[in-house]
Amino acid sequence: MLKILIPTLMLIPTTWLIPKKWLWTTTTSQSLIIALISLLWLKWDSEIGWSSSNIYLATDPLSTPLLILTCWLLPLMILASQNHISPEPINRQRSYITLLILLQFFLILAFSATEMIMFYIMFEATLIPTLIIITRWGNQTERLNAGTYFLFYTLTGSLPLLVALLLLQKDLGSLSMLTMQFTKPMTFISWSDKIWWAGCLLAFLVKMPLYGIHLWLPKAHVEAPIAGSMVLAAVLLKLGGYGMMRITSLLDPLTKELSYPFIVMALWGIIMTGSICLRQTDLKSLIAYSSVSHMGLVVAGILTQTPWGFTGAIILMIAHGLVSSALFCLANTNYERTHNRTLLLTRGMQIILPLMTTWWFMANLANLALPPIPNLMGELFIIVSTFNWSYWTILLTGLGTLITASYSLYMFLMTQRGPTPTHIITLYPSHSREHLLMALHLLPILMLMSKPELVWGWCYC
Amino acid sequence: SILAWMGLEISTMAIIPLMTQQHHPRAEEAATKYFLTQATAAAMILFASLTNAWLTGEWNISQISHPLSVTLTILALALKIGLAPMHFWLPEVLQGLNLTTGLILSTWQKLAPFALIYQIAPNTNQTLLITLGIMSALIGGWGGLNQTQLRKILAYSSIAHLGWMIIILHFLPNLTLLNLTLYILMTSTMFLSFKLSMATKVNSLATTWSKTPPLAALTMLSLLSLGGLPPLTGFMPKWLILQELTKQNLPITATIMAMTALLSLFFYLR
Repeated sequence: MLKILIPTLMLIPTTWLIPKKWLWTTTTSQSLIIALISLLWLKWDSEIGWSSSNIYLATDPLSTPLLILTCWLLPLMILASQNHISPEPINRQRSYITLLILLQFFLILAFSATEMIMFYIMFEATLIPTLIIITRWGNQTERLNAGTYFLFYTLTGSLPLLVALLLLQKDLGSLSMLTMQFTKPMTFISWSDKIWWAGCLLAFLVKMPLYGIHLWLPKAHVEAPIAGSMVLAAVLLKLGGYGMMRITSLLDPLTKELSYPFIVMALWGIIMTGSICLRQTDLKSLIAYSSVSHMGLVVAGILTQTPWGFTGAIILMIAHGLVSSALFCLANTNYERTHNRTLLLTRGMQIILPLMTTWWFMANLANLALPPIPNLMGELFIIVSTFNWSYWTILLTGLGTLITASYSLYMFLMTQRGPTPTHIITLYPSHSREHLLMALHLLPILMLMSKPELVWGWCYC
Repeated sequence: SILAWMGLEISTMAIIPLMTQQHHPRAEEAATKYFLTQATAAAMILFASLTNAWLTGEWNISQISHPLSVTLTILALALKIGLAPMHFWLPEVLQGLNLTTGLILSTWQKLAPFALIYQIAPNTNQTLLITLGIMSALIGGWGGLNQTQLRKILAYSSIAHLGWMIIILHFLPNLTLLNLTLYILMTSTMFLSFKLSMATKVNSLATTWSKTPPLAALTMLSLLSLGGLPPLTGFMPKWLILQELTKQNLPITATIMAMTALLSLFFYLR
């Protein structure tokens, strides 16, 4: 564990001491090396499921894919930010990279935490660098509002979680995840136990986000700079899912009845947010709502509490992380050239940037869950497990898949085909950096097709 | 306890000339208000210890056992430090002072009453303390929401923090002291950084980014710490206090306190 954490921390002095010419090259390559080392975590050889542990940090098949995703994203974020940060003074560039590294550090600690309180502290700690990135480097004036929404929605959900965890610690004696798997099932009879159950889950549901409490997401995604959007969509939402999976092992048998409204909200949210996507004019907002839609599916999968549901949730989280991040990068390439996000003004890009069209095509196909891409595997697993939970859900999930396909195709057709407006004929061609970025996003997805057991979580290894 | 009363009176007297240094009508008004409230509080303490001596024959302040005297002492000390519902003097007094005097008022002047509070801690009435604490946290949060003057914002934040400190007094007085120490550190940072950037209103804070970026970053970090966000140090007292409250089976209290922290955070963020 330390062999990842110490290099990540040492990246911070690196960014401040490197001469200006080498700043971006060095940080990108060092973070790439760290990401490659993190692939070592994929070897799980311990019986109780937790490997490479010390007292406070350990990895298990649930957290490993998310950890690798986090480490992989850092070089990608740095690559993506290179262009829009370059006009700023060098110290601001250095502080931007430092914030990204700090966020990475907290995320690694959060995913590998063995004790719930440490997970909680790191969960909250990731909010601060993200808030600073959104409010300081965002593009529009609404970013202050977006930052406030982001912070307060998340904190309102997570403060009850703190109290709930402290109550749990009082009863159990310790909150180490290693021992939490073996606690006796608790008896829940009174109203306050039900409120405790809700308190445990609410923080993660807000973070996921669940449909009714998702308002912070489109605002935060649209106003954040590209690296902020990438990390928000890819990893921070998954923190919610990961937390939910960890804590639901304790919450039976109450969850059978109490999860009913949340599963319904999640499934309905898939359809609602999908339909909103079809009417969006802002490209980034479209991708943000598609994130809410996919995460609704993940929430439904986790709340059914079946092995297939969990597995589907993990696969969908990883695959969605990579694909969403790729879509945001693509949207950013458009934004950097035309400085607007309106779909009407960036039409017909195929004639101008043909190679980008390939990437748009692949990313949109992955988003709509074309077989054999892992997105489909995740969605299928979840659909099957919700079908098992109740036969009627197939209506909602099937309709949701259809709407997902239609808005992904809509996004592709709007940006690539159709008549080209005359004002964008003079755009400069794609940088090879951008092509590299897209390739690095989509290659892991393609490679995962060949060994999906890596991301199946507890249930199959 | 006569000595305690004398000590409190002397500290009040000592700070009055400091407050009236600026010959500004608001400064004089602040000084007058401060003097009146502190004198009242000191008189109440004297009265409380006399009552205790009359009823139980005990002069030592750490052994006040009669419930009436204890309650009276707590209320008097609350008036001294500015706990709700006896907080009304604090925002206006702080507004009338310059930043250095305000700093001394918020930090050093709290030490003496807290020493007394710590000593009478074992005998205190649990319900009263919890009521005072929750009210202070709520009023501190709500009152600060509409403020643009920095000194008033710091006054309301002080009220809220004092609420947190007082709520845990009955169960674990050491946590009160920890919270007080960290609060003194953070408030001193805030006052000193405001003094360096010579800002007295929220609008004037906006220009610090161009003047001294490190100072602006530091101000922001300490504001977030005052708000109690992990992983900054300001989270630690809140966390420990919530833990102690839940151990004592008071989860609802803990939740209310946690929510009021959100209120204060809102006006720190601006």
